[in-house]
Amino acid sequence: MRALRTVGAVLTLCTAAWLSAVAPAAADSGDGKDGKDAPTEAGTNFRTATEIEPGQKATAAASTGDYLYWVFPAAAGQVPKVEATLKLPDGASRHGSATWQLDVYDGLRRHQPCASGAPARRAAQQDASVTVSCTLRQVRSWSERWANDPLQGAYYVRLTVVDLPAQDLGLPIDADIEASVRDTGGAHADGGDVTPLNPALRAGPAPGTDSAQADGASPDSEDDKGGDVRHAVAEPEDGWGSGWWSDRWVWTVIGAALAALAGIGGYTLTRGPRAPSRPPIDA
Amino acid sequence: MIIKKRLATGALGLLAALACGLISPSAALADEPAADSPKVELVLDVSGSMRARDVDGDSRMAAAKQAFNEVLDATPEEVRLGIRTLGANYPGKDREAGCRDSERLYPVGQVDRTEAKAAVATLRPTGWTPIGLALRGASKDLSGGEGTRRIVLITDGEDSCGLPDPCDVARELAAQGTHLVVDTLGLTLDRKVREQLSCIAEATGGTYTAIQHRDQLSSRIKQLVRRSADTPVEAPTPVQGAAQCAKAPYLGSGLYSDRESFGEHRWYRMRVAPGQELRASASVAADRAVDPDYGVLLRAVTPGGQELVRGSEAGSGRTDVISSGLRYPVADADDDEDTTARTVCLELSQSFSAPASVKRTPGLPVELAVDVVDNDDQPADVAAFGLGRGWVLLAVLTVGGLLVGLLWGWLARWRVTVWRSN
Repeated sequence: MRALRTVGAVLTLCTAAWLSAVAPAAADSGDGKDGKDAPTEAGTNFRTATEIEPGQKATAAASTGDYLYWVFPAAAGQVPKVEATLKLPDGASRHGSATWQLDVYDGLRRHQPCASGAPARRAAQQDASVTVSCTLRQVRSWSERWANDPLQGAYYVRLTVVDLPAQDLGLPIDADIEASVRDTGGAHADGGDVTPLNPALRAGPAPGTDSAQADGASPDSEDDKGGDVRHAVAEPEDGWGSGWWSDRWVWTVIGAALAALAGIGGYTLTRGPRAPSRPPIDA
Repeated sequence: MIIKKRLATGALGLLAALACGLISPSAALADEPAADSPKVELVLDVSGSMRARDVDGDSRMAAAKQAFNEVLDATPEEVRLGIRTLGANYPGKDREAGCRDSERLYPVGQVDRTEAKAAVATLRPTGWTPIGLALRGASKDLSGGEGTRRIVLITDGEDSCGLPDPCDVARELAAQGTHLVVDTLGLTLDRKVREQLSCIAEATGGTYTAIQHRDQLSSRIKQLVRRSADTPVEAPTPVQGAAQCAKAPYLGSGLYSDRESFGEHRWYRMRVAPGQELRASASVAADRAVDPDYGVLLRAVTPGGQELVRGSEAGSGRTDVISSGLRYPVADADDDEDTTARTVCLELSQSFSAPASVKRTPGLPVELAVDVVDNDDQPADVAAFGLGRGWVLLAVLTVGGLLVGLLWGWLARWRVTVWRSN
């Protein structure tokens, strides 16, 4: 009897332990598979930046003074826009106004200027929230190597406070951020195709001191070996390019048709009034 | 008889437990923590001042204990967690003894929740605040393994021992190349505490949080522990750039870390084959108090000294990092046989400066991301597929068509005339 009870108790405990171990795991896998859940954390540097999809509203709880990093993909022909709203701590616990700033960097960590928007805003002490935004230039599919033009690939967003009363450092804030992309259409359709500026997240091979060693660590062999390297962002559903279609096809085809018609018209003009004077066959 | 029965009971129980262990996923996971699983050590200040009752009407110690219990319950399976205390044992007035008082309360490893909670429950606010010493101890506790390392320091007072300066200790630990991050939580809004804790956080790329409420404390620690589990394990490879190109190390594709002092130039080398494009980005972090204006310059130079392309950035004001990047495509050689890789030198310099009181060593943390990708040649026409657009295009095509039609018509008439006259 006693033996049975012991076994029963052990089994009960065991089942409980098993269930409790499985439950969170199942919940995790559910979240992971879905993949559409908006991120609730921000990264703390370029390497750990949290990936967000355009159109997704990501949130993060942080402290005043933290540097919050996100990263999103933008394809050629698109105009990316980032907007972030910060919920500031209670005005009574703050000691003055603070300037919040949004910086956007491309996949090469080059700072990108904002063509429009308000990337830096000063929040007065009584303000409960502050919104900063930045609209980039149109993403190009090719540029000169000397140019700082935005190219298809990853875009890093950094949100932080740049000027604040020292006493306010470390107070809790809530940030939400949304990146969106707008297609510019045929007016700005580009040619060319640069490999996307989407940095690989992997440790470099051990540095070599002479060229013989460096050959072993050459990029090609690395790529072959690496196979599935993790990148800063996943490729957008529609690819990195702007696609083959643009309204330039319509304009060009209409132009061709007009040219053909005008050609026929011109030819007809030179025939003069002679043509209709030809006698009918049965006359 | 009774003994036999007991034995049988025990054996049965053992069998059941074994079977349970075999099928239980948590037990299976717990037995083999991966070598690169992230490590976190919570460092808790148990100095006398933790008695102060100013966290939602409760004592700081009580709030910390409650937060620890919640954190222990919420720790992800893959995180190896440890706890260290400072000022927990020596209640006396002797500074020397008080400043040696930092103890490992719970070793870094798979968390046994009951055991860890029991250990935390025994803590009573007691002694001094040797933060620098505790950070060194915590760094030792976390040594070994490939995963990320994080120290979460929870304190309510500045270091009461003076030397070593905890901020310098933090910078020193960060410079050891073990990718250690220290996040600090201050249980008081005191100016000195804030300055010290934010300095420690800044020195290691961590964060500083001022805690005023109990729930804020536990949710922040939980967030930091979780962040440890989420952070990618791909830590940059340490490299040391040379003072000139000829002696520079060759880099492969990937992430590298280095340290660069104020006013220093560092050189690296890359090999790029024709038809490939070099991509390099560099970021220099400001891990200490620096003057408000700064800049960074990354140049790609031939071994002969000719500049190919440069990336530069300047800024001013509060920042964690300044970064720039460049791309250098190597065109396909005229004859396809020539696939010799070209050597490209990379020179990194920055214009950070610091007030005289700031320590110069170790240098500022540098992160390099270099990659070699396929190069796409310059398009013949930057418009999409060479297509046109707009009213001018239509007008030009129409007038062009008309002219060609007229010309063709006249030619035809002229030819007919010539043929007839013959």
